[in-house]
Formats: sequence, structure tokens, C-alpha cells
Amino acid sequence: MNIRRLTELALLSTVALIIFVIELRIPNPFPIPGVKLGLANIVTVYAVFRCRPSETAMIVTVRLLLGAMFSGNPSALLYSAAGAVCCLLGMLVLRHILPEKQIWLCSVIGAMLHNIGQITAAVIIMRSFGVIAYLPLLLVTGSLAGVFTGICAQMLLKRMNRQNGPLR
Amino acid sequence: MKNRKIIIAVGLIFFVSVCLSVYILRHSDRQTVEIVQDGAVLYTFDLNRAEDQEIRVTSAEGGYNLIVIKDGTICISEADCPDQTCVKMGVLKSDYLPIVCLPHKLIVRFAEGEA
Repeated sequence: MNIRRLTELALLSTVALIIFVIELRIPNPFPIPGVKLGLANIVTVYAVFRCRPSETAMIVTVRLLLGAMFSGNPSALLYSAAGAVCCLLGMLVLRHILPEKQIWLCSVIGAMLHNIGQITAAVIIMRSFGVIAYLPLLLVTGSLAGVFTGICAQMLLKRMNRQNGPLR
Repeated sequence: MKNRKIIIAVGLIFFVSVCLSVYILRHSDRQTVEIVQDGAVLYTFDLNRAEDQEIRVTSAEGGYNLIVIKDGTICISEADCPDQTCVKMGVLKSDYLPIVCLPHKLIVRFAEGEA
């Protein structure tokens, strides 16, 4: 990996982290654990479509670890990590299937997979199937947020591609 | 077309989730609530008959939750945990979404059985 690439990845991680920290300051209108806007995923979706899978995984790992540290809530790390792994795997597969105009769809499916991963982790950690009741709520809010972050990423990618040449 | 199938599947999941969410968020018509800590039922109340009161529940690690019963509703008004999710959840309304305080392993929920 050359220095140019390294710098680009570091920059993307920083942007994701800043968005994450700013989002912590936005009061959450839904008092349901796990419901979030997930604006930092704009960067994840962007990276999925522009970087190599391993590079995207690096960005997400850095975001997760530092994000857990900055938010002062390390117990949430397990849930978000489980969600992020599911989401990332799904999106890496989808990027080969979906055309450039349907990046938002990739983001929506990623959000849904994220929620499923979160709930699976919660079921395992709490050893109770009661938490599955949260899944429909998370899926609805998650896919709405996913549409939004997806459209943001799609617009961003369109502009970047115009400037820096085609994808990948 | 492959992508149309994906869109339809996502739309279907979304629609089903909306329906289930409405069902889950429906207000309960049960009146008996129980306060459970660490799997053991600490208190049981009939919200119709219980008088307004405050209950302080301390956890094994020394934390506490202040549970308030007022005008036939129950909520957690205070807790010394960092996330405060249980306080923000407000009044207990649904059968399926109990008020949960994860750090203190405390659950406030509608009891099954008697209506």
C-alpha cells in the first residue's frame, strides 16, 4: 500500500469518525435502543464502491473501535460490530450486482443486515428471544435512514467519479 | 430482471416490518405490571388500583432505579446508569416492549395471565 492510498483511507476514517461524533450530539427522537441515523455509513457505502474490500474493512474497523472509545460506551461495541460485519459482507456482495444508479438500494439492504446482526448479537448476549420484538422497529427506522445515507453516498460517488474517473 | 426481484423483496420486508411495528407498539389492555430484577419478580401491581407511589430498586452492584406509579401509569423516572434509555422510554405502554434497564438487569413489564 503506497502512502497516497494510506492517506486516503486515513482521511475517510477520520471523516466517518467526525460524522459519528457529531451524530452523537443530535438528540434521538426514538427512545428505542439501537435506533440511529447512522450518518457515518455514508462513508462506508462510499468506500464499498470505491475501495477494495480489505480497505473498506479497515476503515470500518477503525471507525468502530475509535467510535466506541469516543462515545464512552464500549458495551455497545459488540452490537455495532456484529451489525457492521453483516452489513459490510452484504454490501460487498451487492456491489457486483447493483448498477451505479441503485447504490441507495445497497445502503438500504446494508442497513437491514446491520439491524439483523445487532439483534442476533443481543439475543446471544442476553440469552432471551424477547429482544426480537425490537427487530421490526429497527428494520423500519433502519431502512428509512438507509435510504437517506444511500442517496447521500450515491450523489457523492457520482461527483467523485466525474472528477476522478470511473469506479474502482 | 434480477434487480427488480431485490427491490420487491426489500419492499416486502419493509411493509411486513411496518405492520409488525404497529402491532408491537399497540397499547396494552392489561393492567397488571411486574417489576423484575435478575429474573426474580420483585413487585406486582394492579395499575387500576395501585395508589401513586415511588419505588426505589437497588441493584446488586449498588446502582438504583426510581420507579414511579402515577394515575395508572408506570415509568422509570430516575436511574444512575450512563445510558438512561430506561428513563427515556417513558411510560410503559406495550405488551412486547418492556422498559428495560440493561446495566441494572431490571425489567418493568405487563404480567401475563390475569387481565
